[in-house]
Amino acid sequence: MLIRTPKPWELPESAVTPERDYLLRPRRDFLKTLGAGAATLAAASLLPRHALATTAGFPTKVNTAFRDPALKPTAYEWITSYNNFYEFGSEKHEPKPNANKGWKTEPWTVEITGLINNPMKIEANDLVVKMGGAEQRVYRFRCVEAWSMVIPWDGFPLTKLIKLADPKPEAKFVTFTTLHDPKVMPGQRGRGLDWPYFEGLRLDEANHELAFMATGIYGRPIPNQNGAPLRLVVPWKYGFKCGKSIVKIDFVAKQPRNTWQVMAASEYGFYANVNPQVDHPRWSQASERVIGEGGAFGRRQKTLMFNGYEKEVAGLYKGLDLRKYY
Amino acid sequence: MLLEKLLRSKAVIWALLVLPFIWAIWPIFRPSPSDADPLKSTLLHLGFIASILLAVVLTFTPLRILFPKWGVALALNRHRRLVGVSAFAYALLHLTAHVRHVYDGSFDTFFKEIQKPFQLTGLAAFTILFVLTITSLHVAVRWLGARRWKNIHRLAYIAVALVAYHQAAAKKLFPMQVVYIFGPLLALELARIIKQRLKTKAT
Repeated sequence: MLIRTPKPWELPESAVTPERDYLLRPRRDFLKTLGAGAATLAAASLLPRHALATTAGFPTKVNTAFRDPALKPTAYEWITSYNNFYEFGSEKHEPKPNANKGWKTEPWTVEITGLINNPMKIEANDLVVKMGGAEQRVYRFRCVEAWSMVIPWDGFPLTKLIKLADPKPEAKFVTFTTLHDPKVMPGQRGRGLDWPYFEGLRLDEANHELAFMATGIYGRPIPNQNGAPLRLVVPWKYGFKCGKSIVKIDFVAKQPRNTWQVMAASEYGFYANVNPQVDHPRWSQASERVIGEGGAFGRRQKTLMFNGYEKEVAGLYKGLDLRKYY
Repeated sequence: MLLEKLLRSKAVIWALLVLPFIWAIWPIFRPSPSDADPLKSTLLHLGFIASILLAVVLTFTPLRILFPKWGVALALNRHRRLVGVSAFAYALLHLTAHVRHVYDGSFDTFFKEIQKPFQLTGLAAFTILFVLTITSLHVAVRWLGARRWKNIHRLAYIAVALVAYHQAAAKKLFPMQVVYIFGPLLALELARIIKQRLKTKAT
């Protein structure tokens, strides 16, 4: 009979770190402390090389409450290759190459400030950990240029961040300022927009359960060209509301302006709610091209009120003239 | 001079006019994730070519007036009709691709959009080019009489202004290509006007 004497360095089963705890940690630290875990390592090595944004919270769990089985996600390649990110060029094919020429999005500090009780400067990984990790939601995405995708975002609900910030009663709006760094962003060097790019939401809009801070796409850290490492996602509004690579979240009392409104107020408003009945001055918003479908000639579908989230968000705009407040 | 010789040739001009078409429709045969809306790329290419051809054909007359002894200018002026009609052909392809692009089961979107200034200017320019094309036959000159024909073909200047606006309005940020395409034409026209003024004063 073999009597097994435990070695002095052996630890009891109870000392093993629960899975939850290490999954929420930044991948760098997580890999450092990881022994073998071949499967996990393989999964990590599947991450594309350019995907070195915020890695805390991965792998993420699908939140089935925000996973409409009728929505067919657009392929990863399309989502990450066809981008509007004027900081890296005004053509859709430019951000992918230009945002991956050594631009580092980790570590990343975001400042949460303004009319709040808990102002802070925090590293994006730490923020994700503070938010309790990341989850995956599948949302429709509708660009103001009348094209659309379906995107599986990973991240955390914006309302959690607002709770952490603890706004004072006089805070009525939230503004999101994105990175200004002409050294790495060629689009910020010449003429163009009024940099840095900034966007804003009403506090009740920001607190809506659909408003989301994305740190990933398809269960991988968000690629640079999609707005690494922190990107706002407001699925019932046009895509330009979804500021990329956010460095500052500011709580204010007065309705802020937003970059595109400054550029062309007649074309882009503060609300920017998806609305098939209210045209853009230069084109109709009644229908949209579905990216990645229909082959070379493409496919078009009717645009839905509030991009299909009417039931959820219409209440926010009761009594508001959506033609005037576009 | 070689350039002059080449430009006198109809075959060379035909080749120069047809080759861009291959570039224009290239995206349709090579869809890629970074060009996820190839028909849109194609329709933009077609419009781009149409506006360049329109600007180019209108430089022929001022070039001839400014440099009456320059062989290249004279060679180019042999092809005014061909280049002008091809500008219309590309505009027609551009419009066709656009109609297909916005088709969503009905033409409602097309008719709604075409009323907006950005698109209406394009349609107006297209209509002018259409009129100029059908009156480009020799027999039309005889029907209309030289003076009336000339006045009708002066509509080309209105068309070019409409196209410049149409192109500038197509983008969120002012596209510099408008300056590259129409700037030289504007400069040549101004120079031509100045030259003709000086000439009438002298006589």
